[in-house]
Amino acid sequence: MTGILVFSLASAEGLPRSSLELVAAAEQLREKLGDRIVQVALLGQGAESCAETLIHHGADEVLVASSPELQSYKTELILEVLEAVIERVSPAVVLFPADTVGGEIAPRLAYRLGAGIVTDCVGFELDAESRRIRWLRPVYGGKAMAYMVANGPVQIATFRQRAFEPLPEDTSRQGKVQALQVELEPAMAPVSLVEEVREEVEGISLDEAEIVISGGRGMGGPEAFSELETMAEILQGAVGSSRPPADSGWVPHAKLIGQTGKILSPNLYIAVGISGAPQHMAGIAAAKTIVAINKDEDAPIFKVAHLGVVDDWRQVVPALIRACRELVGN
Amino acid sequence: MTNEEKGGIGRAAQPLNSPFAGRRTVHIVVCLKQIIDPEIAPSEFQIDPVCKEQIRGKHALVISTFDEHALEVAVQAKEKTGGKVTALTIAGEEGSEALHTALAIGADEVVLLSDPTFSDTDSFGKTRILAAALHKLGEFDAVLCGRQAGDVELGVTGPFLAEELGLPCIALVANIEPDRDRVRLRRPVENGYEILEAPLPFVATVTNDESNVPRLPTVRAIRAAVRKAVPIWTAEEIGVEAGPEAAKIELQELFIPKREVRCEFIGGKSGQEKGENLALRLRELTLI
Repeated sequence: MTGILVFSLASAEGLPRSSLELVAAAEQLREKLGDRIVQVALLGQGAESCAETLIHHGADEVLVASSPELQSYKTELILEVLEAVIERVSPAVVLFPADTVGGEIAPRLAYRLGAGIVTDCVGFELDAESRRIRWLRPVYGGKAMAYMVANGPVQIATFRQRAFEPLPEDTSRQGKVQALQVELEPAMAPVSLVEEVREEVEGISLDEAEIVISGGRGMGGPEAFSELETMAEILQGAVGSSRPPADSGWVPHAKLIGQTGKILSPNLYIAVGISGAPQHMAGIAAAKTIVAINKDEDAPIFKVAHLGVVDDWRQVVPALIRACRELVGN
Repeated sequence: MTNEEKGGIGRAAQPLNSPFAGRRTVHIVVCLKQIIDPEIAPSEFQIDPVCKEQIRGKHALVISTFDEHALEVAVQAKEKTGGKVTALTIAGEEGSEALHTALAIGADEVVLLSDPTFSDTDSFGKTRILAAALHKLGEFDAVLCGRQAGDVELGVTGPFLAEELGLPCIALVANIEPDRDRVRLRRPVENGYEILEAPLPFVATVTNDESNVPRLPTVRAIRAAVRKAVPIWTAEEIGVEAGPEAAKIELQELFIPKREVRCEFIGGKSGQEKGENLALRLRELTLI
């Protein structure tokens, strides 16, 4: 029985949320394709401690390769392990997260295997006639969508974060955990890590936040972003920005949301003083609910927003913060 | 497979008359894609659902956003270490426009890879075309690609090329600093950055950040660039057979999603009241 294989790279911080999302995606694929098993290739140092979590969220079988050598930048070694796993389980489909590691490994693996690949997917459907998977993905900066098909011995797809919700945890769920014997030659990895600088950030990261509050040109300067930070703290969300604040240095470039920045799909996106340029909208096309606060009622953002407030954010946001604090109780 | 086995993809020799004599200079190749200006308003964006592509209309052709950043990274590195930047693109005749822009920005040499057989190929075929052109160029230290094209956004060209050439691949870097036979690469990550090191030659994909904002070419540079002839290499000249074959990546359907969102405007006598009402509505919808 050929399976659906999910790639997961665990780190010192544990399992990325995207792994559970991909298992949920694999479960949906199984429902459509029928009679498949959901397998996970779980790599990384101390990865075995994450195997049960994957089973509790829907995986049938977890193949674990635990080695300190399996770091995000040692892509040659990751590829070597993956090739061995694929040879062993011959999956029909392999799913990757569309992040830095998945974005490099997935196409390289596809090239090695001569396999078709579709990247940055947000969904899929099964063609009733041909029984082929049609992978759905945004193109042209989110202005259009495309259904693509991958041909070859195996299909490879990468999925955007939050395209799927993890399945609820079921601790009674049973599955098989297999340790893989991996012998890795560290010298085979040509890329080495010289330095790693990470700022300590309080709260939730933009990529993982369910609620994102963003400021645009209308914020007028860097100081105003502290109000958005306050709101993010109360709602347990994260703060982002459109291009003008990032280009003007009001916020670090890492906060930029849009085609050339982060592409997010939060549950709730609150855009403050953002007009809604196409390049920004490309970053939030998959947001489930969009709220816009802008004093210009003709701003394009209101064409895509579900809820809108036409007024000066300086009046609206402080009242919104007070009311949220009362309602949420933080 | 090692580089030698792949056919001698190697590094550039030190030119004797270089102003950087005594230090090793670099040869960086940048692979560009020319696309329809992605900054146009959504209302002007039209597609041909049969040909499954964007309708160009009167819109300008530009270098794809991330490829422009890749070119900037290459030019910055060359300015530090000396050497040259070569820009490649696969396109029809109109591709010379992108290459003239590349020259104006700071590329030293350009090549247009153009052949009627090139248009039907998918990313696998395009990779073989680029690899064949790189073999013809002979010597280089780095190949840079944008992290993804601004139209189809597959983001596979860089990693594919690394595999085809048998070279190390480093994804999503913002800067490179070649030094003798190695390179340091800065990669932005969540809340910070990593400095990675790799041997030359290598393939990297470039993402944007504040350090690689593409420069605007001067009017003088543009004038000088358009006077330069753009060499064209055909399939025969680079020794590649890019006929129609079973595409591994197939675009089946292209459509503009209908957004049937009607914005619900929150009322109130003042901005403050609207803020309070918004909070209540968000609570009602269990969004907060």
